[in-house]
Amino acid sequence: MSENRSIDHRSSDHKIHYECKYTPVELIEAFGGEPELLNRSSDTFRQAEILGSPNLCGFGKSVIETAIDEHIKELFLVNCCDTIRSAADIIADAGDTGFLYTMDLPHCMSQCSRELMTAHLEDFAMRYGEHTGLTFDPDKFRQAFTTVEWPDGPYIAVIGARMSDELFEMVEKTMPLPCRNLSCVRGRDLGASRPPETDDFHRLMDWYAGELLAQTPCMRMEDVTGRKRLFSDPDLAGVIYHTLKFCDFYSFEYSRVKDDLQVPMLKIETDFTLQSSGQLLTRLEAFGETLRMSAGARFSGISGKKESRAPEGPAAGPACSPEDKPGAAAAPEAGTGPEAYSMLDADATLEAGKKYFAGVDSGSTSTDIVIMDEACSIVTTVILPTGAGAENSAARGVAAALEKAGLTRDDLAALTATGYGRGSIQMGDSQVTEITCHARGAHYLDPDVRTVIDIGGQDSKVISLDPSGSVKNFVMNDKCAAGTGRFLDNMARTLEMDLDQMSQRGLEYKEDITISSMCTVFAESEVVSLIAKNKSADDIVHGLNKSVAAKTGTLVARVGGQEKYMMTGGVSRNRGLVKALEEELGCELVISPYSQLCGAIGAALFARDSSIR
Amino acid sequence: MDVVETFGKTVDRQCDRDPAKGRRVLRAGWEAQLFRFRHMPVKALMPAYQYLAALMMDTMLKPLRDPGHSAVVSIFTPSQLLQEVGLSPYNAEAYSAYLLGSRCEHSCILTAEAAGLPETLCSYHKIFTGAAEKGLLPRPRCIVYTNLTCDANMLTFKRMERFFNVPAFFIDVPWTQTEADVRAVASQLRDLGRFLEDITGNKTDEKRLMSRIRRSIDTMDTFRQARRLQKDKYIPTDLVSPQYGAMVNNVLLGTPEVEKFARMLLKDVKLAGPARGKRIYWVHTNPYWSDAMHKALYINESAQIIGSDMEQVVYPEEMAAQDPYEAMARQMVFNHLNGSVERRIQAAIQQAKETGCDGAVWFNHWGCKHTLGGSALAKKRFQEAGIPCLVLDGDGVDRAHGGEGQTATRLGAFIEMLEDRNE
Repeated sequence: MSENRSIDHRSSDHKIHYECKYTPVELIEAFGGEPELLNRSSDTFRQAEILGSPNLCGFGKSVIETAIDEHIKELFLVNCCDTIRSAADIIADAGDTGFLYTMDLPHCMSQCSRELMTAHLEDFAMRYGEHTGLTFDPDKFRQAFTTVEWPDGPYIAVIGARMSDELFEMVEKTMPLPCRNLSCVRGRDLGASRPPETDDFHRLMDWYAGELLAQTPCMRMEDVTGRKRLFSDPDLAGVIYHTLKFCDFYSFEYSRVKDDLQVPMLKIETDFTLQSSGQLLTRLEAFGETLRMSAGARFSGISGKKESRAPEGPAAGPACSPEDKPGAAAAPEAGTGPEAYSMLDADATLEAGKKYFAGVDSGSTSTDIVIMDEACSIVTTVILPTGAGAENSAARGVAAALEKAGLTRDDLAALTATGYGRGSIQMGDSQVTEITCHARGAHYLDPDVRTVIDIGGQDSKVISLDPSGSVKNFVMNDKCAAGTGRFLDNMARTLEMDLDQMSQRGLEYKEDITISSMCTVFAESEVVSLIAKNKSADDIVHGLNKSVAAKTGTLVARVGGQEKYMMTGGVSRNRGLVKALEEELGCELVISPYSQLCGAIGAALFARDSSIR
Repeated sequence: MDVVETFGKTVDRQCDRDPAKGRRVLRAGWEAQLFRFRHMPVKALMPAYQYLAALMMDTMLKPLRDPGHSAVVSIFTPSQLLQEVGLSPYNAEAYSAYLLGSRCEHSCILTAEAAGLPETLCSYHKIFTGAAEKGLLPRPRCIVYTNLTCDANMLTFKRMERFFNVPAFFIDVPWTQTEADVRAVASQLRDLGRFLEDITGNKTDEKRLMSRIRRSIDTMDTFRQARRLQKDKYIPTDLVSPQYGAMVNNVLLGTPEVEKFARMLLKDVKLAGPARGKRIYWVHTNPYWSDAMHKALYINESAQIIGSDMEQVVYPEEMAAQDPYEAMARQMVFNHLNGSVERRIQAAIQQAKETGCDGAVWFNHWGCKHTLGGSALAKKRFQEAGIPCLVLDGDGVDRAHGGEGQTATRLGAFIEMLEDRNE
């Protein structure tokens, strides 16, 4: 039998919380209980991290947190995973839940499994009846079965680990098509069959056990072939594949389907909080843009973006031919600072009545501005540090760029904002995510580029492009600093050198040291112990570069990256890292003199598109 | 660069060029290590542990020598049926630990993560998957696995089934301990017997199987006697012997070799001198690769590991049955790691008391959600039982999740704390 911990107090309120799609919701309703799904994200996990561990999946922690903080009276858990198994013990020890029932869920669909499941359902019914004083009503049981109805037509499916209701709302707002949450518990579907006409409780439970186990299996089950139907619906226009940090089940499925799926797919990972909602929004909006561009022609029902003002319609790659790019300008070498870009300016001639377009990339460390003319020639560029406010920095940057080019605001026919701060830039005419802008910018700079590696201060991304410059696929690092510029900043501080020194020192190593830790804290400790062992700074820096290169190589593999590779972002100026990454990928990286401006260039091109339309 | 590091890099390099060559280099290195264990053992260790090191190395080599007669198994798969049909256990967790020991684990982790496996997956599973998929591991005859007692089993072995394209058998173990649960597992084990007969063409003799079961029970009994007797004795212990014990008492249980080890251990303990130093009972795997661990607990009279919960996951009386399949089913159903965390904690406390420890370390192996989730509760329960408990975060096989400074400080402070208690 399954485990039951019952405290002898009866409540008049029979709301019973649950978390898994194999929960016998209809049986609870047949007793007059009110099943309520736990699927809201949490802001903090204070209790869960004290009573459990920080390194558990956020959902498991939210169950512990909610049960204890909200003094849940009745709770039904399924031993779906190791985290929930532990959560049951923690809640039983620390909470004041009056009725806590944990059901053992078989992994198979065999007759034997069905018999065990039937016994668990009967056991639960007996204990729940004893606890509440309620009795089973066969009519209520039959009435409890409803069929899930979905509207016809193309849709975006959320598949994978459970997605919180709040995040799903964000998904619905950013996608150009209706969305179906088919992740984990939200994929509960007992089909259209109804209980047999019998009052024999055992027969009913035997049937019910079969129906519960026959649902589209979750990844915890032994036979998951039934999940194929999630990916093969002809109306499926795109997939948002969600994984939860510390829940490993669904990454396996993602790794299996990512290369074969015929529709666009975005993978996002969360910790069941909305702490990274800015980054999540960027990814979702970028995916919405990709869908709008690549699938608009395929699905007539595709709609415009609901909130941001990105250009609509199928992508045609860059509006300008590659010949229009300012290739004649003398290019500074990789490793030079932003000041070098001034020499690239003014390669276009200003003409009265000519239209100009601005792209503003509002990043975490710098705000980059590019002004372009109708022929897609860059008129001027400005890079300045992002100060306290994105809007302020953008306004200062645009003013500086206009002044530098001898233009006024009236000469700008359109301005597109991109980057983390794009939502705050009110003067923009449209907003496009940095993913789409980087792809567009990279294609503009070199049409042969198929993969963009952007390592910035706050995050790193790898974007795979098709030959027309549209985004095929992309991945970003998670919210930890591993593999980002910030990681290198911290390590440079530990080694007491600046970033320019670090760029150079990494080239001059003698011993091939491997640094295993990518966690900034652990890596710092590893570096300190290498210093204590008198290892040379050159060798340590090379080890760090290798470590970041390996992490980036993993992202490249995940996105299915192919040559040519272009590296953008501030870290592209680190020569040692570039070399390590070239060794990791086994080919040379294209580092454009405009690499730091790639996003702003893409934004300026989108501004031009929107104005022409 | 030391010899092992050079060896690991050579294996990696060869494997990248030609996986078969990489395997040959790996096997050559491991054969050399076996020779060393047999002829130049660590003299500070007792004969039983010297024998155990060679036994484990030989077990690891069997799938490399003859993969067609090996079966990939998870650690808690009962292997008596495999032994009967002549298949060697090819244990995923042990392979990962040995690949770490050979310094070629890092490339396996990178291979697995590049394929999309999560960073938070148990590193034992990640290394095994990465090693297989980069071609370093040979194709087995079949795979036998169970959900007991780790979620990662449900992922890794299914993936390996597809990757190696070999038949696989799954044993679904309920998490409660009723007679109905035992019957359900026994029925699956009978099916497993037929599955193994079909793929090997070898018949299982039930009488011989029953005698293996009796040997398994006797072995566990002897082992338990040795650990109990060790309460007042000092046994020099390295970091890997408790882990070897965990491996052989599971995947080799039922063999004459493990029976011999248990008897040798009992004899060694009887001859051992009086207890000394701080005695640590260890829960779960340990980061044997860590310098900080080595410094604190490697063949150290002032502090040593005196037992681990993984060595005795079931007691002989819990396994006893007239029918061999029922006995193996009981071996699984009554596994102390099966079911609630509370059950696992109580079994660990009982063993910790039996071995007369001064303190316990609950090792939060990164990626093991059951261990992580139960850690705070375990600390509370151990302390309620009068046993000081350290919850130590780390990773059994991935240096990236180490934090040497933290390990050294926490472990050092815990041992100092135990010393203060006795002053």
